[in-house]
Amino acid sequence: MTAKNPARLLIDTWRGRFGLTILAVALFVAVFGTAIAPYPPEASSLDVLQPPSFNHWLGTTESGADVFSQLLVGTRVSMLVGFAAAIISAVLGSAVGIASGYFGGWTDRILDALENWFLVIPTLPLMIVLARLLDPTLTVLIAVIGLTSWAGTGRIVRAQVLTLRERAFVERARALGAGDTYIIRTHILPNTLPLIFANTVLIIAVAILSEAALSFLGLGDPTRISWGTMLENAFNSGAPSAGAWWYVVPPGLAITVLVLGVSLLGFLYEEYINPRLREDG
Amino acid sequence: MSNLLEVTNLRVEHRGKPIVDDVSFTLEKGEALGLAGESGCGKTTTALSLMKMLPSGLKQSGGIVLRPPDLEEPIRIDRRTEAGMQVVRWRHISLVFQGAMNSLDPVKYIDAQIAEVIRLHEDGVSGKQVHARIDDLLTTVGLTPALGHRYSHQLSGGQRQRVMIALALACRPSLVIADEPTTALDVVMQAQVLQLLEWLRRELGLALILISHDLGVLAETCDRIAVMYAGRIVETGPVAGVFASPQHPYTKRLLDSLPVIGGSRGLAPPIPGGPPDPGDPPDGCAFHPRCPYSTERCLKDPALREVAPGQSAACHFAPWSSWPEIKPVSVGVRT
Amino acid sequence: MSGRWLAGKVAAAILTLVFVVIFNFFLFRVMGDPTTQLARLPRATPEEITKLQAQYGLDKPLVGQFTDNVADTAKLDLGISQRSRRPVWDEIKDALPWTLLLVGTGTLIATLLGSWMGVIAATRRGQKSDDALLGFSLFTYASPEYWIGIILILVFAVWVPIFPSGLQMTPGVDFSSFLAEAADVAKHLVLPATAMTLMLLGQYFLIMRSSMVDVLTEDFITVKRATGMRWDRVVRRHAVPNALLPLVTLSAIQFGAVVGGAITIETIFSWPGLGELTFQAINDKDYPVLQGTFLIFSFGVILANLAADILYFYLDPRVQTK
Repeated sequence: MTAKNPARLLIDTWRGRFGLTILAVALFVAVFGTAIAPYPPEASSLDVLQPPSFNHWLGTTESGADVFSQLLVGTRVSMLVGFAAAIISAVLGSAVGIASGYFGGWTDRILDALENWFLVIPTLPLMIVLARLLDPTLTVLIAVIGLTSWAGTGRIVRAQVLTLRERAFVERARALGAGDTYIIRTHILPNTLPLIFANTVLIIAVAILSEAALSFLGLGDPTRISWGTMLENAFNSGAPSAGAWWYVVPPGLAITVLVLGVSLLGFLYEEYINPRLREDG
Repeated sequence: MSNLLEVTNLRVEHRGKPIVDDVSFTLEKGEALGLAGESGCGKTTTALSLMKMLPSGLKQSGGIVLRPPDLEEPIRIDRRTEAGMQVVRWRHISLVFQGAMNSLDPVKYIDAQIAEVIRLHEDGVSGKQVHARIDDLLTTVGLTPALGHRYSHQLSGGQRQRVMIALALACRPSLVIADEPTTALDVVMQAQVLQLLEWLRRELGLALILISHDLGVLAETCDRIAVMYAGRIVETGPVAGVFASPQHPYTKRLLDSLPVIGGSRGLAPPIPGGPPDPGDPPDGCAFHPRCPYSTERCLKDPALREVAPGQSAACHFAPWSSWPEIKPVSVGVRT
Repeated sequence: MSGRWLAGKVAAAILTLVFVVIFNFFLFRVMGDPTTQLARLPRATPEEITKLQAQYGLDKPLVGQFTDNVADTAKLDLGISQRSRRPVWDEIKDALPWTLLLVGTGTLIATLLGSWMGVIAATRRGQKSDDALLGFSLFTYASPEYWIGIILILVFAVWVPIFPSGLQMTPGVDFSSFLAEAADVAKHLVLPATAMTLMLLGQYFLIMRSSMVDVLTEDFITVKRATGMRWDRVVRRHAVPNALLPLVTLSAIQFGAVVGGAITIETIFSWPGLGELTFQAINDKDYPVLQGTFLIFSFGVILANLAADILYFYLDPRVQTK
């Protein structure tokens, strides 16, 4: 099967269409959520834990706030944290991977050991410990997630750099007197970027889930509404026992759908750069 | 009819395009037939269709009849279902696959795998009998029986090839197909494997279909040879006759490319062009676009006909008593 | 050289664990020590702070603190819980069996069910059943496990009240026999274990499926078929055993996720395990407990990885005879 160009893959496959739609909708809501929300998300009222009605499409929370508005506004946090943390993770992982793979020797040994350590350690407990020690803000959340998710990218990049390093064009460049920075910039980096990109898209999905989990456990930014904090509030106020499905189902569903969309796009891009992964080829 | 195998008008299609096109041949008991041709000409596909092991997506048609000497009734392979074939496979006809590197289950002992196959086709064999059979088989192919209790990865390439031959013989079939048994082996191993096959044929009365792109290999071990091109048989006949006096330009060119000890040092000119695309075959003779002797007549399909005693060729100009000088690079008539 | 290989793996595991201890120490001493956290409590007076500093050994130089910490950890002295005033190790000891019960049940069912589904999907690649299973696993992979837990409570504990919505036992009941008590626990285990299983199911399914798909393309599978073996036997006796090998190594990647799931699922169901302990410690800012659970979680994952390595070593003859 010949490699189609990525635009075709996005349009022709149902995965591409679905992922693209989800991403587009999420992006739109993240930007314009506060503007299009019918109610201010924090606004409490006396209509506590009411089921969906004409006034409140998804009912109300335990403080009488509109669930639908919260859902819309919460999109921004998930998208922001997801993308920002993934970018940090990508930059860190690539830097470590390239340094480790290209320079070898002790640099490699130390960085590789560091990488393996981060890969083995369970991520959520690590994030919990880091987040609890610091003040609960979005920036902290982004930093914590980004600083704990880079090892996967690092490992992939390192493996790729190791193979690239031995290739003829690198040897030739060095023989011609090219410096390391030049080689990395013009030979190593361009050949690793597709891999980094594919991996980062999947990290976005993981970051979104991580933010939701941390917020759910109470480590999120209390001044911001996110889907995770919605679930946290719902749980803490006994919404499940009260049967308030309108409060409990939408935030989790939103997380699932967004993660699904992003993941599908990530898998699609992985297949594009690695034809071996395609099952019909 | 006393022949062991009779193949009539075998055709294998992939989405309507022929990979194997109207192939017919017979095989006598104990006879060795060589199937020659370049890669992609349909040799392996033919072999797989004899066992009805074609990958899904390929459809086969045509008659295949096997008459094992130990059976009363002939086996109509073409009519057998998958369940019906499971009884036939290995028991009456077996196949030594190309490239023995990964042909055995890596997590099971070799003797266990041979034993499994024996038990599959024979009831009421005792453990001791099976064990004795396995030792016997391994010794026959020139391996020490102790190697049986090893894993595949602990054996060398040549040893693995021999194990595959031993496996192929395990149920005492009357016909063994060997697909490129010497490719990927060094010259010394090649000679040993060929000697082994020859010895097995004489000792056990096995019929052999030997598939190879290497005519030298076929010359040593086979009685008759069939040359395939683009899914069709273009020449067939006794090995000596075909090699001494080929009757098809393709066979001639294949023979020319074999180095001759004591002959001139130059290389024969390569055959220009490449094998045709099965999706878009040339009109008439499949070889004519690359044939230095082709004319207008070659646009009509040449039938495979007897042009010398026991020798058939699919060429309008056969029989050839001598071969004219080759004109430099004629690309031939092609529509 | 199996002995050497094994020793190497164990040494690596120990080294990793040592770095966890080091990390733990520096994190809590450097990023914030208990007294400054305590100082945020409105009631702490300067005298109390000085006393706490002495108690925690914070007046010693850093190196001294570190060696003390390592020595204490080795003795399983992980400090005192700020909330309960009990030794952290005791809290962990009480909670650990419950987590093992939950995680063990969930992992076992997920592995068995997921592998079985994976084999089916691989042998029916491209067909509707394969697509359905793929879709299902994709959904469980993308959904937060605690959300699934909440939905399970909603459906099976509130709307159709078959199962309890939390805790590990019905409170305040005197059980006539061990069997009755076990049955009660089992009833409480169903929903949380289901949530855990669903979380892991998708991963194990995908791993087994891709492993099977790879194995089915191998030459020896074609050879087995050529010997006249029935397809179900080829799959069962030759494809599946070979597909299990990558499953062991690849599922080792899941162990971290298992821990994460344990934390959130136990929280939802008030299941008295390490996860619930962690959740309470988060709320109470109980740093000794947080440190302790982080240590135990890391140790658990390291141990599980080691076990997976050993298991793989015993299953794959190619590794053994190198």
